[in-house]
Amino acid sequence: MIENRPWLTFASHATLLTGIALVALPVWMALVASTHPASAFGAGHIPLWFGDAGAETWGTVLFEKAGNGVDTPVWFMMLNSLIMALGITFGKIAISLLSAYAIVFFRFPFRNLCFWIIFMTLMLPVEVRIVPTYEVVANLDLLNSYTGLTLPLIASATATFLFRQCFLSIPGELVEAARMDGAGPWRFFFDILLPLSRTNIAALFVILFIYGWNQYLWPLLITTDDAYYTLVMSIKRMLSVTDGDIAWNQIMATTLLAMLPPVAVVIGMQKLFVKGLVDSEK
Amino acid sequence: MTDVILEKVGKTYPNGYHAIPSVDLSIEEGEFIVLVGPSGCGKSTLLRMVAGLESISTGELRIRGERMNEKEPAERDIAMVFQNYALYPHMSVYDNMAYGLKNRGMPKDQIAEKVSDVAKMLGLTELLQRKPRQLSGGQRQRVAMGRAMVRDPKVFLFDEPLSNLDAKLRVQMRVEIRQLQRKLGTTTLYVTHDQVEAMTLADRLVVLNKGKAEQVGTPMDLYNKPATPFVAAFIGSPSMNLINANLTEQGIKISEALTLPLSHQHRGGIVWGIRPEHLEVSDEQNADFALRILAVESLGAETLIHGKIETELGNGEPMVVRLSGPHLPEVNSLMWLTAPVSHWHLFDTKTQQRL
Repeated sequence: MIENRPWLTFASHATLLTGIALVALPVWMALVASTHPASAFGAGHIPLWFGDAGAETWGTVLFEKAGNGVDTPVWFMMLNSLIMALGITFGKIAISLLSAYAIVFFRFPFRNLCFWIIFMTLMLPVEVRIVPTYEVVANLDLLNSYTGLTLPLIASATATFLFRQCFLSIPGELVEAARMDGAGPWRFFFDILLPLSRTNIAALFVILFIYGWNQYLWPLLITTDDAYYTLVMSIKRMLSVTDGDIAWNQIMATTLLAMLPPVAVVIGMQKLFVKGLVDSEK
Repeated sequence: MTDVILEKVGKTYPNGYHAIPSVDLSIEEGEFIVLVGPSGCGKSTLLRMVAGLESISTGELRIRGERMNEKEPAERDIAMVFQNYALYPHMSVYDNMAYGLKNRGMPKDQIAEKVSDVAKMLGLTELLQRKPRQLSGGQRQRVAMGRAMVRDPKVFLFDEPLSNLDAKLRVQMRVEIRQLQRKLGTTTLYVTHDQVEAMTLADRLVVLNKGKAEQVGTPMDLYNKPATPFVAAFIGSPSMNLINANLTEQGIKISEALTLPLSHQHRGGIVWGIRPEHLEVSDEQNADFALRILAVESLGAETLIHGKIETELGNGEPMVVRLSGPHLPEVNSLMWLTAPVSHWHLFDTKTQQRL
C-alpha cells in the first residue's frame, strides 16, 4: 500500500506509541518501584521516577534472599525455573517429533486412532487432571524433584499436531529418494526430517519455553522444598505474608527478573520464529 | 547377458484393484528400455515395483539372476531419478550426490573423488556448493541424475524425469540422457507418456495399456508393425487413422459406398489403419477416395489436413493427412488421395491382433 497522507502517518504512529506506552507503563512502574524503599509503594502515592534504594534492593534480591518469607536468592530460583522450562521444552519437542514421525511415516494398526487420541489430550491440560496427576507423581515419589516438575507437562498434542502438518508437507518422493539412498528410519529422521523442520522446531521452542517458564499451578503444588522453588510461583508466595509490610520493592525486582528470560528467548529467536510460522523451505 | 527379468510380475492393491495383471520382460545388459503408455496404464507402478517402492504381488523380479522381490530399495543396487527430482532441499549439491554413498559407508576421499568425477561429466563442478533452490530446473534435473550416477548402480530408473522442464530444455536433456546412458552402458528403465521421448530414447519400447504390455519392440518395429490398434494409435504423431471396416471378398468395405480392393483370406470385422504420412495426393482417376477438408494446420515443414472421407452417400470417417512442406488447400474443398497397400495395417476387431 503506497499512500501519502501525512495525517494518516501521524495517526497510526500516535496509536502505536499509545499502545507501547500502555504496555510499557506497568513495567516502568515496576522498575521504578524496585528502586524505592518498601514503604514507598504502599504509602499511597506511586513514584514515577527512580529512587535511591535500587542497588540495595537488587543486590539483596539477586544474591541473598528474595524476601517476604522466601529465603532463596532469585538467581537460584531462576535456575530452577530455567531447568524446568528447558526440560519441558526439550521434552515436548522430542516427544512430539517422535510421535509425529511415527504417525506420518509408519503404517501400523490404529494409526489414525492414535493420532486422534493424542489430539484429544488437548482437552486435558494440567489444570483439569491436576488431582490424579498429583497422585501419580506422589506415588512415584517424584514430589520435590526436577522430574516431577517437568515430566507431567511434557506430553503435547499441539506440538505433535504442528509437526504432523510439517511432515505431511514433505513430498513423498523425497522420502522415497532417501530410501533409495539407503537411509534407514533413524538416518532419515536425523539427516532429512530434522533439518527440514528446523524452523518449526525453533518456533515451537519459543512458544514452549514461555509456556514452561510461566508454569505456576503445578510447581506450586508439588514443591514444598525451597531447593525446587521456581521463580513464578515464588512471586505469589512473596505476596502472601501474614504479618508486616509487603516488600513491594523486592517483589517488583523479582518480577522484572522473571520477565527477562522469555523476553530474551523471543528476541533472540525472533527471525527463526517468524520463519517457522510463516514459510516453509520445502 | 540378461540383466533384469520380470516374470509374470503383477500388482494388486489391498483394496482389490488389479493395477497390473501380469508383465513379462527381460532386459539385456546396457539396454535402454522405455515404458510408455497413457496416464493410468500402470507404467509408473511397474517402475516403482522394480525400484522396490511398491511391493510385487505376484511373479518374480530378478536382477542379475538374483531374486529381488523382498529386497529393500537400497539393497537392489539401483538408482532412480524422480519426476520432481526429489533433491534434499537442505543439502548442497555435493551432499545430495554424496548422501547415498555416505550411507553405504564409503570412505570420504573416495566419495569426493566419485562426486567430482560425475560433477565434471554433468557440468556441475561450479555448482557443488549451492543449494537446490538456487538452481534452475535443468540444473536440478542434472543433479538428480548425478545423484543416481555416483552410485554406479546396475540399473537406472527414470520416472518421467523431463516432464517438469520446458520444451526446449526437454529436447536438450533427452539427447544428453541418451548420450550419458550410451557412455556409461548402464541398463536403464525409463517411464514416459510422451511418445516422441519414447521413440527417440529407447532401444526397445514397452507399450503398456491397462497394466498389460501391448507390445515390446524397437521403436521402428512398433512404428512399422504395431501389434494392436492401441499401439498403432499411440505410436506416431499425429496418430494413425483407424477405421472400423469389414473384410469381404471384394476387399475392405469401409462404408456402403467405399470398398478398397484387397484379397485376403480373413473375413469379418477389422480395423483398417493407415498413417497420415503415408497417404498420397493424387488426381481424380487414380484416387482411392476423396477427402472433404475440414481444417488445415500449417506447420511450415509439414501440413496436417483434417477431413472426412467423402462418398456419394455423404461424408463419413474422419481422417488426417500429413503432407511435407507448406500446402494451402481450401477448407471445404475436396482432396483426392491414394492409400498405398504396402502401408496398410489390418487388425482383427475381435482379438485386436494384427492380421
